[in-house]
Amino acid sequence: MAKRKGLVINDRQLDLCDDLLRKLKEVSGSTFLALISTSGQPITTASDDYHPETLSLASLAASSFAATQQLARILDEKEFTLLFHEGKNSNLHVSQVSDQVLLIITFGRETQVGKVRLYTQRAIEVLKPIFENADEENDLLQVDEGYEASAGKMIDDLFADVEGEADATH
Amino acid sequence: MPLINFAAREINYKIVYYGCGLCGKTTNIQYIHRKINPQARGKLVSIATEEERTLYFDFLPLSLGTVKGMQTRFHLYTVPGQSYYNASRKLVLQGVDGVIFVADSQITRLDENVESYLNLWDNLLAQGDDLTKLGFVIQMNKRDLTDIFSVEDLNELLNHTNSPVIEACAVTGMGVFETLKTVSKQVIAKTS
Repeated sequence: MAKRKGLVINDRQLDLCDDLLRKLKEVSGSTFLALISTSGQPITTASDDYHPETLSLASLAASSFAATQQLARILDEKEFTLLFHEGKNSNLHVSQVSDQVLLIITFGRETQVGKVRLYTQRAIEVLKPIFENADEENDLLQVDEGYEASAGKMIDDLFADVEGEADATH
Repeated sequence: MPLINFAAREINYKIVYYGCGLCGKTTNIQYIHRKINPQARGKLVSIATEEERTLYFDFLPLSLGTVKGMQTRFHLYTVPGQSYYNASRKLVLQGVDGVIFVADSQITRLDENVESYLNLWDNLLAQGDDLTKLGFVIQMNKRDLTDIFSVEDLNELLNHTNSPVIEACAVTGMGVFETLKTVSKQVIAKTS
């Protein structure tokens, strides 16, 4: 049976994204940026000294965005292209880059939402083709042949101790 | 669908616990959070009602470590089991690599189990997925109770894919890690 394909990111894509996120951070005055998959997994981040708990943030932002898309359908709107939460000291902006990728931006009072939105729209125009035109080059990338066997052994090791503990309490 | 980030040397897989209301999905994930080495797990996030029923999902990231140079993670999710939360279940299933169907073994929960199993098929088909292409394990939970179905009967009802079946008692942890171990190996074997 053919193996399932994932969302694959190569070196060239990541370099382009990192470079763009750095520039976007600078011009928009935002504090933290992250590209994540629509299924809630982080791809890359840009930040100087603010590091939120990225895995939870990605999971929650992707889920909120997915829920927002469903709200749009219920309201007979084709799509809501962004999600915005305004706080007292910080704000969260989530927008869609491609079918599989979202952009998260957090920013504080030192910048304006209009400025962030303007530069984000421009950035998405550049980011979108990075993800949409990479299938051919990514098809050539392969995970190491021994990955499955090694992962299997590490899974056994990770759960070995706790499995014993569970049996003992039963 | 896994995220394979060759540039950052990372692979992330998404595993979803599915099943009817009160079958023990959240109990599974809470047990894993409590027992696993804290260095191997992230924060447990739960979006629940005031009565502690899952409203949207629970989320727990687990790190396997570096495998052949690739940092490997499993992102565990639960869905809300109550039937009227189907819109939320569909969202949680997006991008799934492996499903653990938690069946409530009690005879009185037969209808709910079957309804949830059919609902899983419907929701996967609607997003162009198919259980045969994903990791899939059936966990028969609450084996410590009386008035429960035999494994054979539940297997006939809920296992049209001839998938692995694991008996469990999520409250005490019996079968919890065996279930997760089985589906974790499956998702790696079925994706590239």
